[in-house]
Amino acid sequence: MKTILKTLLISLAIAASANAANHLVDQKGKTFIPHALTVAVGDTITFKNSDPFAHNAYTDDEANEFDIGMQAAGAENKVTVKAAGTFSVECAIHPNMLLEVTAK
Amino acid sequence: MKGILLLAALVLSLSASDTKFDLGEKIYTQTCVSCHGVNGKAQVDLEFVVKPRSLQTSILDEEQSYNIIKKGSHYWGSAADIMPSFESVYDDKELRAVSYYVSKKFNPNAKKRVVAEYAKSDLIPKEKLSKMHKRGAKIYKRNCSWCHGLTGKGDGEATRNPEKSIFPYDLGKTLLTKKQMFLYAKHGGKFWGTDKNDMPGWSRKYDDYTLKSVVFYIEETFRKK
Repeated sequence: MKTILKTLLISLAIAASANAANHLVDQKGKTFIPHALTVAVGDTITFKNSDPFAHNAYTDDEANEFDIGMQAAGAENKVTVKAAGTFSVECAIHPNMLLEVTAK
Repeated sequence: MKGILLLAALVLSLSASDTKFDLGEKIYTQTCVSCHGVNGKAQVDLEFVVKPRSLQTSILDEEQSYNIIKKGSHYWGSAADIMPSFESVYDDKELRAVSYYVSKKFNPNAKKRVVAEYAKSDLIPKEKLSKMHKRGAKIYKRNCSWCHGLTGKGDGEATRNPEKSIFPYDLGKTLLTKKQMFLYAKHGGKFWGTDKNDMPGWSRKYDDYTLKSVVFYIEETFRKK
């Protein structure tokens, strides 16, 4: 019985992860493209730096807090959305960059 | 008799400043015009790693311009050695003349502009004065250190990008006053004459108290040595 439950849980986890979508956010011209995103909890967001200089992406949202650190030109970083809610993502280097994420 | 003397003194003084202006114009035309342009707007066709700033909207006053022309921008903290030192090219009288010309011709209201912009900023409430260092340190580390570095020397992580497209200032060496630094942080470099917007304006993100706190932190940490 215990083994069956374990197998079931693992299968559910795999299924959930297989259903999770990845959303690409490009950082180009000191702008997040797109600048608004609707995602599901468990989805991932890939930040790609298409500018010829460094970027960053972070949020201070308590439930989804992340900071990808310095992102060199051409680099990609992936983060996982952990909780439902709306939060802002900013670049610590370029204050006019703003991404609004709605997680359902 | 007194009136005649006064008139003579006035004529002499006017002619002295005309001479200074003329000498400055001559030097500017010989030397500076190729980068900063006839009208001081730096609209020239030459290729630069860091394009010269517009002298019409520069934040610098006459004395600061003199110091930059004399020692070059690298001496005052610029990572790019584009604006060279002219102290081995011109004597002090000539350096004074060209900075006089630049200020009078292109940017006669530089000081007034700084005063007017600063007057628009919010005063810091008394109860927040003691918190400025902590607030400034937090924001400096979060945002400014990427370019200016944790030690303020302009060697932050973002400067290590292989493209090397940014040249932040060493904040321990800048000749900007505290008020000028605040206004530079608030409005960004482009507002004050730079071609690129590498030093962005932070007014969308932070209020005046926060930006003044950052300047307070810079002053306390990197400039009081």
